[in-house]
This record gives sequence, structure tokens and C-alpha cells, in this order.
Amino acid sequence: MADNKIARKENGALAAEQLDRRPVVAPPVDIYENRDEILVLADVPGARTDGVTVRLDKNELYLHARREDGTAGSAVLGGARTADYSRTFIVPRGIDAEKISADLNAGVLRIHLPKSDAVKPRKIEVRAS
Amino acid sequence: MFGSWNDFERTFAAMDELRRTVEQAWREDEAFPFQTAGAWPRVSLWDEGSNLVLKADLPGLTEKDLQLQLTQDVLTVTGSRRSDAPEGYSVHRQERLPARFSRSFTLPVKVDGAAISASLKDGVLTVTMPKAPESQPRQITVKAA
Repeated sequence: MADNKIARKENGALAAEQLDRRPVVAPPVDIYENRDEILVLADVPGARTDGVTVRLDKNELYLHARREDGTAGSAVLGGARTADYSRTFIVPRGIDAEKISADLNAGVLRIHLPKSDAVKPRKIEVRAS
Repeated sequence: MFGSWNDFERTFAAMDELRRTVEQAWREDEAFPFQTAGAWPRVSLWDEGSNLVLKADLPGLTEKDLQLQLTQDVLTVTGSRRSDAPEGYSVHRQERLPARFSRSFTLPVKVDGAAISASLKDGVLTVTMPKAPESQPRQITVKAA
């Protein structure tokens, strides 16, 4: 990823920075389809819009969301793993890549994948000759 | 120290601890990369010194879907998640199921019930519970004799 710097400058000196080893989990998703689009809903609690990446590369839909909420103090239970979210799907052909849109609300990411006109079902009128 | 603790409660604390350990091990097993194993919602409890902070992952819920209750030292989070399936779509995959849940947590220290605050942001519920004065951390100065 482009934002993974191998080294960075710190106090003027070049300091080694460890590669991104944040734990990652696959968020649970729902996938729906109607005649106009495929709709993906993913649970990404703790993510904000600026930490979300959605990318369509050929036929792979890649989603990644960075979990932004940190907590100070020591964990009493269950806190050891605050993980980012990442998941990749193979999408069918005929998605209009230009028109993909995504929104994030209350930790639920919705990705709209509109179908291109060529693959939409079309009704053919039958005329009497 | 904790005068109200008796052996009976301590037995349950040990059982809770075992359950947490097993659940955590279950989650950390890389053979199960999906979060669906274990109890929903995912909850963590933090000790910040003067506060206890409970965090629960509740994506898609609004404040109306949630109830919080404190009884003595037990905090109960109850709520329900409604289906947000859109109308007129066919389903390919459904992993985010509607759920009704109730989880109770025995807090490790006494908290000030009147000063508890809770907020829901980005699908995460954060409950901040200031510790009662007697359970606040205290700095003890060592004097040279």
C-alpha cells in the first residue's frame, strides 16, 4: 500500500519504522442484488470515512477500513485485539466502475455497485406483424 | 477491602475469567478469521485509572435500540439490532443477522453510578464509569524515616 512507509524522518534522523502489522479481521457482510445494482453492506464499527478504502481492480472489489478508536489504560477483558477490517470479493462482470459509490453510517459501510446498461435485463416488446 | 465479596461470588468470577480466556483464544484462532464465532456484540472493558470504560461494537444501532442498567456492580447492556435488508433485492449472502442481546458484566471495582455516561459513535458504544472514591487509585508517598 502506498501509505506504508519503510522509513520516516524523526527529529531529523532517519529512523526505521516497523511495517504495518495491525491485526486485520474480515468484517461480516451482506450482499444483495436487484436489477440495477449489487449492494454490499459491511459491519465496520469504529471506522470513519477517511479511513475507508474501497477499490475495484479488474473484477476484485477490495475494501479496507481502519479502526480509529483507541483506548488508553489497561484491558480488563477482551481488549487485546483492536483490528482493522479488510475483505476482497470477486464481482461479476458488467459493473460500472465509474459509478461505484459508498457511504458509512453508524459503523455500517454500504457499497453500491451499479450494473452497466449492457448487462441489465431488458424487456423486448413483441409486436404484431 | 472488597467487603461485599464472598466466596460464592469469587467462584463465579473464576468462571467468568475462564469463559473470557476461552472466548479470546477462540477469536485469536487464525482458522476462524470471521468474527461470527463468540458472543455478539464484541465487548471490551478498560481500566483508565480513574474510570472504567466499556466499549461494545454495535454497528447500525441507534441510541433508541439500547438500554443500559447498573445494579450494584453489574452493568447490563440490552438491545436489539433490526434487519436493514433493503426491499426488492435478492439475497446473495447474509452474515449480518438481526440480533437481540443482553450481556451483563461484573465490574471489578465499585463505580459512581450517578456519574456514568454513555455515547454511541461510529457504531461503537462507549460507557464511561468513574470509579467510586474508595476505588480511585491513590498515590502513597514514601517518606524517609
